[in-house]
Amino acid sequence: MNQTSAVKVEGLTRRFGDFVAVDGIDLDIGRGEIFGFLGPNGAGKSTTIKMLCGLLLPSIGKGSVGGHDIMTGSEEIKKNIGYMSQKFSLYDDLTVKENIRFFSGMYGVRREKRKERMEWTLEMAGLEEKRDVVVGDLPGGFKQRLALGCAILHEPPILFLDEPTSGVDPISRRNFWNLIYEMSGSGTTVFVTTHYMDEADYCHRLALIYRGKIIAEGTPMDLRERYMKRYVLEIGVERMVEALDILEKKGMDAAIFGSLLHVTVEDVKQGIADIRSTLESSDIQVDRIERIAPSLEDVFVTLIEVA
Amino acid sequence: MRERITQMIVKEFIQTLRDRRRWMLLFGAPIIQLFLFGYVVTTDVNNISTALYDLDRSQESRELARRLEASGYFNVRYAPQSPGEIRDLIDRGEVLCAIQINRNFAKDLKRRIPTEIQVIVDGTDSNTAMVALSYVTKVIAKYAWEYAVNTVGTVLSPPDFRTRVWYNPDLKSRNYNVPGVIASIIMITCIMLTSMAIVREREVGTMEQLMVTPIRPVELMLGKTIPFAIIGLLDMFMVTVAGVLWFGITIKGSLLLLLMGTSVYLLSILGIGLFISTILKTQQQSLLATMFFNMPAMLLSGFMFPIENMPVIFQYITYLNPLRYFLVIIRGIFLKGNGFVVLWPQMAALFVLGTVIITISSFRFRKRLG
Amino acid sequence: MRFLRIKAIAKKELIQIWRDPLSLIIALLMPVIQLFIYGYAITFDVNNITTVVYDQDKSSLSRELVAQFKESGYFTLVAYVDNYDDIDAYLDSNRARVAITIPYDFSKKMRTGNPAHVEVIIDGSDSNTATIAEGYVAAISLRYAQRITTRTVLPVMDPRTRVWFNPELKSRNFIIPGLIAVIMSVVVALLTSLTVAREWERGTMEQLISTPVKPSELIIGKLAPYFAIGFMDMVLAVLVGVTLFGVPLRGDIVLLVVLSSVFLFGTVSFGVLISIIAKRSQSVASQIAILSTMLPAFLLSGFLFAISNMPKPLQVITYIFPARYFVTILKGVFLKGSTLTLLWKEGIMLAMAGAIVFFLAIRKLHKRID
Repeated sequence: MNQTSAVKVEGLTRRFGDFVAVDGIDLDIGRGEIFGFLGPNGAGKSTTIKMLCGLLLPSIGKGSVGGHDIMTGSEEIKKNIGYMSQKFSLYDDLTVKENIRFFSGMYGVRREKRKERMEWTLEMAGLEEKRDVVVGDLPGGFKQRLALGCAILHEPPILFLDEPTSGVDPISRRNFWNLIYEMSGSGTTVFVTTHYMDEADYCHRLALIYRGKIIAEGTPMDLRERYMKRYVLEIGVERMVEALDILEKKGMDAAIFGSLLHVTVEDVKQGIADIRSTLESSDIQVDRIERIAPSLEDVFVTLIEVA
Repeated sequence: MRERITQMIVKEFIQTLRDRRRWMLLFGAPIIQLFLFGYVVTTDVNNISTALYDLDRSQESRELARRLEASGYFNVRYAPQSPGEIRDLIDRGEVLCAIQINRNFAKDLKRRIPTEIQVIVDGTDSNTAMVALSYVTKVIAKYAWEYAVNTVGTVLSPPDFRTRVWYNPDLKSRNYNVPGVIASIIMITCIMLTSMAIVREREVGTMEQLMVTPIRPVELMLGKTIPFAIIGLLDMFMVTVAGVLWFGITIKGSLLLLLMGTSVYLLSILGIGLFISTILKTQQQSLLATMFFNMPAMLLSGFMFPIENMPVIFQYITYLNPLRYFLVIIRGIFLKGNGFVVLWPQMAALFVLGTVIITISSFRFRKRLG
Repeated sequence: MRFLRIKAIAKKELIQIWRDPLSLIIALLMPVIQLFIYGYAITFDVNNITTVVYDQDKSSLSRELVAQFKESGYFTLVAYVDNYDDIDAYLDSNRARVAITIPYDFSKKMRTGNPAHVEVIIDGSDSNTATIAEGYVAAISLRYAQRITTRTVLPVMDPRTRVWFNPELKSRNFIIPGLIAVIMSVVVALLTSLTVAREWERGTMEQLISTPVKPSELIIGKLAPYFAIGFMDMVLAVLVGVTLFGVPLRGDIVLLVVLSSVFLFGTVSFGVLISIIAKRSQSVASQIAILSTMLPAFLLSGFLFAISNMPKPLQVITYIFPARYFVTILKGVFLKGSTLTLLWKEGIMLAMAGAIVFFLAIRKLHKRID
């Protein structure tokens, strides 16, 4: 049992009948880390997090969460973690205050601390004025923060968040991540799953998961440098869709990114030249071409194609 | 339009039948209910545990005892030796009925002095007690009459009351109850399923999705009620077959008429289900509401308790209950072979009732949607 | 086990129940309505038997006979007919249940010492009413014999009946005590059985099981509010039964409360168990609950239909259902004034059943998703 790891598991696997949802995952997460688990829908993120929380029993695997064994110590694990499920599971027919009070009771928050935690949560979630509003009537952003607050009422050392930002507006997302940073700063380990690639940059370390397996792992920087064997060129053109078509017909790896095109090439100089000539010979004017740092999305797409 | 309705019906069937548990319940539950009701709701009283306290021990008293046994109703298991023993037997529930023949029974009979026979009955189950009393009275009356006619040639002899039982000569309550069960099963099933199906869409959110399509309220209503009408008819067919095959119920009347009657009945039933769905938001509520309606509906329909014995106010209330009319129809067809000539008032009542309910429900339904 | 957590869960359940007023109202209103229906409307008492008379004799003796029927208070004379076809019509169309035919030579035969035959046709569809009607006919025949024998001297047998525990054979006395069992079972079937399944459907269950809460805490917390509701229903039922309907409460009220609580505990635990087993489907949970608590309480507990009249296999099955023991207890305490010495067996069965179900529920509640 490694004392400095908050979560250390090996060979974590989960089968549902013939379907293998999670296939031999190893994790080693240190205290105070923000660890991100990225992947498309159906990749196995939720299943993994549920196994770590003691909600699902792994088919195979060994390890510990917060020092307690994942196979035999589920109940012990639950005492030391906070969990926020994908659906922000709050009681829609209870008020904000009632939800907080309920979860305080469930997590065994000490009587002396209860009032303090209640006020802290209300302030954190911006719900001081809305404490008597029934949760079902709250907008998504508030629900999200309230759900987070309810998960940490007992100030657990480890926090598991399953897609905490789905369906929430970008500003709320930003604020949410600020909160996470604060908590990480005070020593809480945070394990987050998400399918938003841009959030990956907020994490200390990441693992990319696809079809139940981890296909890459490291810091965001690591991932960009280590796995990106090729370069990305960003191209601004007038008739984008046409240009895309032409480049693809030429066998190039191109995709639309907003109002620009990204093309992945082996060699920058050669690539620029090739693209310019191809497009201009079809009478499409190229406004600009330049190399950019690959986004994690680029990384991911590449890795998946390899996998 | 037809296409949309058909699609809705198909979808409903898929949803209902996909979950294995659900269709097991859908078709299993009515059968279970049939068996339970068929075997339990028998007011046939047999094998009455009886104690006979014969203080006379004469030929006449033994003849009475013999007749009691021979009637087939009574099982004379105890011959207590004291009134205290009788008390004890009844207290403990060992006997339902105790008959005490006094010391001078035969002597009094011969001397033409009216003689008493004590009959004690455990009244906690008042119906069984009544029936037991009926049986005792019948046996005694028969004996009394035969004794009078045989032993004395008198100036006035008492008349012989001959009873004949029509339609259900064996007096098996089953023949009366099984058709009733069929009727009530359809009611519960259809109302519950219809209301829950509609409410579920609302609860889960797919109703909104439907409303965005070009579907018209009428089509939605039809799409939601027709599947359950079909299931209701299927259920009825299934339970009827089971009733005939297993319980040996016979159907004396026309099956076509039965079908007609059922269809008119379904008008009301589905209308009620529709109505309930317009008031409620969650499945739990619609379940409670269904039961809330069903309970009084079953009790105040003539299903188990004759309407003519109810206080007048309640009798009036039953006029609003579709089950009341359908029970007359279904029992009439099964037991009496009634034809349209006899049953048209009930059919008409159901038609009117059904039309009114459906009209009200559709108004509400449209309002809810729009 | 932490009381704090139990309290938190119980409080939450209460708030949720309180916030769904419709369900709560129905849950509290249904018992009242049931009480009223069973208390006022439902009766096994058979009177108001519609009758037609075909008097071919029209003598003073025949008129006296008809008068006997009328005076009994059981038969309601609907019409005099003068042919057999009319009798057919009346009986076929349910306008009369009994037809009395007095032959043309009625008084002549009687005066000459030959027994005259009076034919009584009874509609046997409702065999219960028919059987009791037969009993009435027999009783009237005895009474008629008595009357005419005052003019001559005939041996007369006079059955004197005494009904114990329920001397007026008030169906109400017999029904209402057992009704309490049904009322409590209804609460379970409709409310408690949905509690866990609903949390699964909404997603809050997942959140709950990720906390340190123990299954026993969760279950006790969920039980408590529904126990309270069931208890309120019971108190309501007892109060209304005793004060409004005058059902006698001859036994010890403390015993009643204690044993009712034991039953309630078991029933509510069973509801939670159903909810756990039905996992994620509220509709499945509710249907199972109805089949396994409400229906047996209504049919197989001896509440309305005597167990001794059921076929043997069913009688054996009734032993599984706690409602059976509870109904025995209820009837005993209300009508017979039974004490624990008589009811200890039933009490133990209830306690055992409750304990088993409770611990089963705890075991079955896995704090995992699969």
